[in-house]
Amino acid sequence: MRKRTMETSLAGHSPKLIRSIERRLFLKQGLSLGALALLSGCELTDDEGVQRLLMGMSRWNDRAQGWLFNPNKLAPEFPESAITRPFPFNAYYSEDEVTLVDGKDYKLELDGLIREKKPWTLSELYGLPQTSQITRHICVEGWSAIGKWSGVRFSDFLARVGADTTAKYVGFECADDYSTSIDMATALHPQTLLTFRFADQILPPKYGFPMKLRMPTKLGFKNPKHIMSMFVTNEYPGGYWEDQGYNWFSGS
Amino acid sequence: MKPLGAIALAAILATGTGAWGADAPGKPMKMDEPMHGEMKKKGMKKGDVKKAAEKKGRGVRPEMKKEPAGDSRK
Repeated sequence: MRKRTMETSLAGHSPKLIRSIERRLFLKQGLSLGALALLSGCELTDDEGVQRLLMGMSRWNDRAQGWLFNPNKLAPEFPESAITRPFPFNAYYSEDEVTLVDGKDYKLELDGLIREKKPWTLSELYGLPQTSQITRHICVEGWSAIGKWSGVRFSDFLARVGADTTAKYVGFECADDYSTSIDMATALHPQTLLTFRFADQILPPKYGFPMKLRMPTKLGFKNPKHIMSMFVTNEYPGGYWEDQGYNWFSGS
Repeated sequence: MKPLGAIALAAILATGTGAWGADAPGKPMKMDEPMHGEMKKKGMKKGDVKKAAEKKGRGVRPEMKKEPAGDSRK
């Protein structure tokens, strides 16, 4: 029996069809080679060129997510009965190492493209109009939980301090040395809250006392706890996990 | 029985105190220990976050000072 090779199996077919099949094979092999190169790139984490390439792709992905983000679309909200109890604790340290911030001396520092940079005490922040939401916190690790947070609408706070809302980024620095930053569209989203309460109680230390920025439109690691300072800027600020290669936009 | 009871009570109290101590937040962070959570990469330590914050503070803050202050539209 004659063995069927590419040449024999294509014998009798038109040259146009053969060219089409060859083109498809070329593309398929090219894609496989590209995928293989990226897979090997995953192993070669110290290779600067590969890191730059992957970071470039991630930044492109950020821009695409930014274009797709609908600033008027709301994340689902839930009834009190859906709240996850107990709500999980998650950080890069253990629960007994949670940073304790002294509320009496606390002042929120403001910097960058903000007109009124006067630091805010907790009592001043607590005096702002508050709202609540029961939303799902989605973690990049693969779990999710529903909680109730209360605080001031972040867009109201930014307006009150005279932040330049045409700027690109809002960055956050936290008492536990963590940092992150978000796009201005998300900062102005109606469900983005600067929260001071969890489950109707003052935020306990493990959930981010004295304040946590809560964004149901973003993955959990983008929601900073123990915020000490924030700034508005047009310079890409990155963040702790983002600088390690996690996607910056990280919409949920 | 009495000494045994006292030992048992002491053991319960010691265990209880230990458990309370473990749950109480605010213990100094052990910077040279591996990070918690699933996000870490191999070899990452808790102290890496502080080092990164110090490095970032040196980079981001001076850049921000170059930008015009505040919202000029208001």
